[in-house]
This record gives sequence, C-alpha cells and structure tokens, in this order.
Amino acid sequence: MLAYIVQRLIWLPVLLILISLVTFALGLYGPGDPVQVMMGLHTNPQIVEQVRQEYGFDQPFLVQYWNYITNALQGNFGYSLVKYQGQRVSDLIAKRLPITLQLNLVAILWSVPLGIALGIFAALKRKSWLDVFVRGVVILGISLPVIGLMPVLDFALSRKHELGALVIGPFLPPGGWRGIFAPHIIQPAFILGLGLLAVYTRQTRAAMIEVMSADYVRTARAKGLKEWMVVMRHALRNAWIPLITIIGFTLAGLFAGSFLVEQFYSIPGIGALAYESLLSKEYYVIMAFTLIAATVYVIINLIIDIAYAFVDPRIRYK
Amino acid sequence: MSENRGLIAVVIVLLVALVGVICIGFGALVYCPQPGSVCGGLFGAPSNVSQANTPQPQATAASNQGQNQTPNQNQNPPSNNTAPAGNVLRLPGGSGLGGDPPTLDPANTSDVESATYIVEIYSGLVGFNKDLKIVPDLAEKWDVSNDGKTYTFALRKDAKFHDGRPVTAQDVQYSLERAADPKTRSTVSPLYLGDIVGFMDKYTGKATQVSGIKVIDNSTIQIDIDKPISYFLASLAHPTSYVVDKFNVESGEQPWYLKPNGTGPYKLVQWDQGQQIILEKNADYYGEIKPSVDRIELILGGGSAMTRYENGDLDAVRVSIADIERVSDPTNTLNKELVIEPQLSTSFLVFNTRKAPFDDPKVRLAFAMSIDKQKLNDVVFKKMPVVATGILPQAFPGFNPNLQGIPYDPEGAKKLLAESKYAGSLPDIVWSTVGGGGTAGSDVQAIAEMLKENLGANISVEQTDWATYLSQINGSNIDFQMFDIGWSADYVDPHNFIGLLFRGGSLNNWSGYDNPDVNKLIDEASVEPNLEKRIQTYQQAEELILKDAPVLPLTYGRDYWLTKPYVKGVFYPPLVIERLKYITIEK
Repeated sequence: MLAYIVQRLIWLPVLLILISLVTFALGLYGPGDPVQVMMGLHTNPQIVEQVRQEYGFDQPFLVQYWNYITNALQGNFGYSLVKYQGQRVSDLIAKRLPITLQLNLVAILWSVPLGIALGIFAALKRKSWLDVFVRGVVILGISLPVIGLMPVLDFALSRKHELGALVIGPFLPPGGWRGIFAPHIIQPAFILGLGLLAVYTRQTRAAMIEVMSADYVRTARAKGLKEWMVVMRHALRNAWIPLITIIGFTLAGLFAGSFLVEQFYSIPGIGALAYESLLSKEYYVIMAFTLIAATVYVIINLIIDIAYAFVDPRIRYK
Repeated sequence: MSENRGLIAVVIVLLVALVGVICIGFGALVYCPQPGSVCGGLFGAPSNVSQANTPQPQATAASNQGQNQTPNQNQNPPSNNTAPAGNVLRLPGGSGLGGDPPTLDPANTSDVESATYIVEIYSGLVGFNKDLKIVPDLAEKWDVSNDGKTYTFALRKDAKFHDGRPVTAQDVQYSLERAADPKTRSTVSPLYLGDIVGFMDKYTGKATQVSGIKVIDNSTIQIDIDKPISYFLASLAHPTSYVVDKFNVESGEQPWYLKPNGTGPYKLVQWDQGQQIILEKNADYYGEIKPSVDRIELILGGGSAMTRYENGDLDAVRVSIADIERVSDPTNTLNKELVIEPQLSTSFLVFNTRKAPFDDPKVRLAFAMSIDKQKLNDVVFKKMPVVATGILPQAFPGFNPNLQGIPYDPEGAKKLLAESKYAGSLPDIVWSTVGGGGTAGSDVQAIAEMLKENLGANISVEQTDWATYLSQINGSNIDFQMFDIGWSADYVDPHNFIGLLFRGGSLNNWSGYDNPDVNKLIDEASVEPNLEKRIQTYQQAEELILKDAPVLPLTYGRDYWLTKPYVKGVFYPPLVIERLKYITIEK
C-alpha cells in the first residue's frame, strides 16, 4: 500500500513539469501581451519593449522558464503584472482560496448529505410519491441552467418589491462576501449546491437500486435480517463505491467549479481571479493556478483510489 | 453495536443536512436591510448605520398601518460595531464599475479605476478644479520663463503627508525621478512626462538622473522641458507625476502601495480585495476645500449595484443599459435622482485605409453613409449616448456645433460605391471586434445588417479577446480590415483626438490615414500658443478628415448616475479628477 502511494506521488513532479512547460509556452507564445494590456490604447512599441526588457520577457524561453521554476521552488511564484500590479501571486491566491473553499464547503455541507439521504429513500420507496418527487427535483436540479436561475432568485429574494404601500423584501443580500457566517453566502451556496444535490441523489438512488437487487441482499433478507439492517449493512456499503468517485471529483472541483457563481455574486474567490488573469495575460497567476489544480487532481485521484480499498476489501493495491 | 453503524451514519448525515438547512433559514431571517418592509431582520441588525436614518416615506406608512413597528427603528441608534460614528458615504468602487484598482502607485497609473483612487489619496504640483481648469495644488504658484521652456514651482509650506511629514521639493523630485526610473516599469510616464529634459535618457537607462529636474531649495523646484508645449501643466496634473513618500515606497511592504502615505484629502484605511476600499478624511488636508464626509466605503463587489442602490445599500450607482429605460421614465421615482453626464469619449468604426476596399475614400464614405446612426442609437443603445457628428465629443473644448456629421443616405452611398474602383467587385469584409460570446454585440450585428441591406456588402464578424485585439491594433501595421473602438480623452486638448488619432505616422492612427493637408494643419496647431486659433486649426483638420472618412464617428459617450437626494455636491466629471472632497451628506 505504502509503496503504491509513493509510486503514485513520484509521478507528481514529472506531471507538474510537463504541465508547467506547456502552460508557460502557451502564455509566452500565445497572442496578447501583459504589457500591452497594461498600456491599453496608449501604445508605444518603444515603451512596450523597454518595459518587457525590465520584466525579462525578452530573454529566451528556456531561461525564463528556468528562472520561473527555480523561483517557484523557493516559494516565489512571481507577481501579478496587470490586475494587481506587484502583488505576490502567492498572496493573491492565499487571500482568495479560503473564500472559494468556504463557499464550496457550505454548498457541499447542505447538498451532499441531503442528496445521499434523498437517494437512499427514493431507492427504497421506488415508484412511490416520494420517489417521483425526488426524481422531479433531480431533473430540475440538473436541467435548470444556473445562469438563468441566479437572476431569477436575485430578483425574487434580493430586491425590494413595492406592492402599493406594502414593501416586501429584500430577504437576502444581492451578493458580495462577508465571511462564512453572513447571509451573503446563502444564495451562492444554495445555487452551487443545487447541482450537487441532483447528482448525488441520482447516483445514490441508482447505486442503491442496483445493490438492492443483488443476490447478497436477497440472501440477507432470507436470513431474516431486519430491513433497515439489510439496507445499512449490506446495501449501502456496496453503494459507496460509485459515490466515492464523485465525492472525489466534487472536492477537486472546489477550485474551479464555482467560477460562474463567483462572477455573478461578485465573490472574490479563486474562480474570479483565474478568469481575470486569463483575460489580461497574467502569466504567473495562470501558471500558479494550473499547477495548483494539477496537484489537487493528482492527490484527489490518489485519495479516491485509496478510499476504494477501504470500502471494498476486494480492491487491494500492490 | 456494529450493526448500528450504518444507521448512525445515516442519522449523522441527516443531522448535518438539517443543520445546513437551518443555518440557511436562520441567515435569511436575520437579514433585512430595508427597515419597514416585510422580510427577515427579526433581530434588528441592519447592515449599515445610515439606513436607520434613511428617510422612508412609503415604508413607514406601511409599517404604521398594518404591521408592527419594525424592530430596527426602535432599537438601533446610529451606531454600529462595524462602522464608527460620523457620516458615511457608500459608493460603488472606482469609476462605478466595481472591481479592485490594478494599482495605487501613481507612477504606474494607466487606467481609470486606479486613477479614481489615486487622485483622492495623493496630490500633484497642480490639479484640476471642478471646471477642469488647472489650479495650484502642492505648488502654491509657478513662473514660466519667457521661452516657455522652464517652469519654477513654489511649494506650499503647509502640505503634509498623511503621517505628518511636510512635503518638500526633494519629495517632488524623488517622485518624478522615480517615474522615470526604468525599474518602476511605468508604461505611462513617458507619455505625460517625456517632454522633461533628460526624462527619456533616464527611462531608457542612458542616464541615472533626469537633468531637467532641479531642486532650488526645500520649497522650490524647477523643471525644464524640451519645447514650449502648451499642455505641460495639464500633463503634470495626471497621477503619473503625483508625489509619493520615499520612506513609504521603500518600506518593504509588498507592494508598498497597499499602505499608501499620500497627501490628498482622503486616506486609505482598509482594502479588502474584491470587497471594499475604505477611505477616511484627512483632517490635516492643506487645500482650501476641506473634505466633509468622514468615511467613504467604496464597494468593489457585491452583486447588482442597481439592486443595492434601490435597497438603500449604496448612495450612488452608475446606471447600466439594462436599467436605462426604467430610470429615464419621468414617472419613475428614480428619475428625480438621475444625472446625465457627457463624457469626453467618442466611439468609432475604423476603416483600415491600407486594406482593400478601404483604400478608396469613396468606399469608406459609402460605408459611412449606409449606417443609420440615429436608429442605431435609438434602438440598440437606447439613446444612452448621443449620435456623433464629428470627432471631438460635445463636452470637449473645440467641439464644433456646426458639423452635420456624415449623413445617412443609402442612395448616395450606392452611387458612391458604383463610382469607386470596387464597383461590382466589393470584396468580403471581415469586421474585428472585442468579444467572446457566441454572437457579436447587437450594435455590431445591426451595423453589419445595414451595410448588407444598403450596399450588399458581405460582412463577417470576427471576435477576439481584449489582449489579442490590443496586440493587433497596437502594432505598426494593423491587419484588421474594419473594426470598432472607443477613445476617451487623456487631457483636455483637441490634440488628444485629432493629433493622436489622425496625424500620419501617429501611434494611435489606426486607420493608417495620412493626408498631407491634415498633417500640416495638425503640426501648425500643436505649437500654436493662441488657444482660439489652435482650436480653429484643429476644427479645419477635423472637417477635412470627416470628408475622407477614415473612420465613422458613431456616438459620444454619456454616463448615467443615480444619487440619493441626501448626498450633496456630488458630480461625475468626464476626466478623473479629485471630487470626493466636494461631497457632503445632509440628512
């Protein structure tokens, strides 16, 4: 087991070097230039050249890449060039990552447990009104586009409605970020969780239905076990395996998944930062973002694989 | 026990879900920014101080009639643990669009967002007053030598940095030298200060000091410029030359400007990235007009600004096109709070005169005459801007009210096209525009449709992101055939439009237009000391340019702002100038 983990982790740096090379090359050779974005329409090729030289952008690709990597190994991931001029990339990410994480954590906390619970009940009470209702919610959750839902909710909950002399609302703030305990988090966390709720309900229901018709469940029932015991001990344990995969990717998606929502509710999270940086050719921020995302995906994949082994004794790694 | 593990797990899962739902519900109950309305807010915690005092004619009536008195009104005196006593103004950040300023380093100010903060926190030798006239700021007075090439500034003796240190001539020198230093990596300083003798030598690393900047004594500084340019003081009023504190810059903070020590009427006290910037008034401000509002919260994010304005969370808002019809309706209550401010900006459709078919002026004119600008403005822009008749915008000195603009004349356009060298063989046109959506903006689509209908032109639209677009149009040889672009004034001089955009060989001459007559007029005007004569000469050039139609001016920009009635003295200048100190709150 340990050997397996070490072996998987050895590949991480190799992967990171490959990814960083590609990202770096795309940044430098792709169209657009951060110095020009900074200058906007006030262009002057002489000044652009001068400033590029000061930044060292005129040096050969490999020299620049080498400088970047050696700095990065010492914990210096470069500076923002355009949108947060001179601020350390590591500071920018450190300020924003916790916000995205908190937002997603709240979204996960309400939606994933609820989704799993709903899925179990829907599977046990197949074709009952509960099942129909849950499936309806799932279909809505998956098919309603978030981009359309956000303005509707915003209108309904965050606006003041004047019906004659009666003033109703606003019930919720229209956006912004005031920490995890402020009501500002409710709308975005609700929206973010909706998709998760649907996915988890559907996956859990499907997995449960499958295992409930398995032979060992019939055996368990034949042994005379109580129904809830059958469900909990025999069925649910086996239904966990597909769920673990999606839990893993939900966690990995924490870093990127909330971009649209962050944008709409003006939440200064990491998704908004990544988007801004892409548009203004922030080489270093994009690099850092890519490297973090790659690392997270590799590690989460590893954790998923290890978790399989714990849930399912048949899976063992050498 | 082990049999129960699964059950326990399910119960825990359900409990967690329950806690989540309760938390959300609880939050919704607590929140209520609008006293007197039917909403949450059971615990009387309005998010802002001034709301407790906000006049609320309709809401109070409602709460007195049917419902209980809202808790907020009784329980909350105007004090709150989040904000100190005194009056507070809450504005959308920067130019009203929100978002963090890219920098608060004066020498590197190349964008409007940053400039709006920098002009309040720092100050320069000279500045603009409300009427956009140059007035003394850190300099008390100045002398100009007879040849117009040497300026001697006498500094005020009472000006201090926010930390109390007096401002000296050495500080001014340090700031200007710093703007010239290649290590500062300023992309704007050559544009505004490049006329100072020796500035470019230092900028390009040929010298270690700017020879044209001399400290005479602690409160006198002399600046020499290359040639007697009439707009030198105006460029000194730009943030690039504002005064910074050496000890602040070299403090080691990364970057230093997060804790700026300026000289302006407001001090930065807090900056929560993506959330808010808080300014407090500088009680020791030296200027004649002292700041009145104690604390200004500039909100950088937070969802729809319009919603928050209507909810009473913001004291002013920039109206976007989505709300324009609503607020322009005189029967709407918001209409009384509306201010419309002409901007010093013009939007253009550019024809690249170096590319077929736009190398023929007749084709350019035919294109320009096939576009119904009035209809475009009425339908697509909802009358937000004004239809352009010339190059210089309405609010600009030198605007020529006699210009009729290129008329909408489809028949005349067809005739012109038939006379051109591309008669019957008009090539397909590619229109490049900034965008990333599936379809181009409705203005682009409308114009392309007009050109197709009136001239039979086959136009395909190519969208690129801003960075790529810039790298194209900032090159010396623009590859785009036809594109749209807006230009806002940097300084109030016709040269900023006519000279920069249409002088043959100028860096911002996107159309590649090069008319010897126009060039001659522009060259004459740029050194003409008499203002009236200058303006006349530029106007002559403008008329010639319009006849050749290297560009089609589409609209002149206007900004729409809503301001709460208790905020007095607010104005929305077309240039970034100091303005917060004029504002008072009268409730």
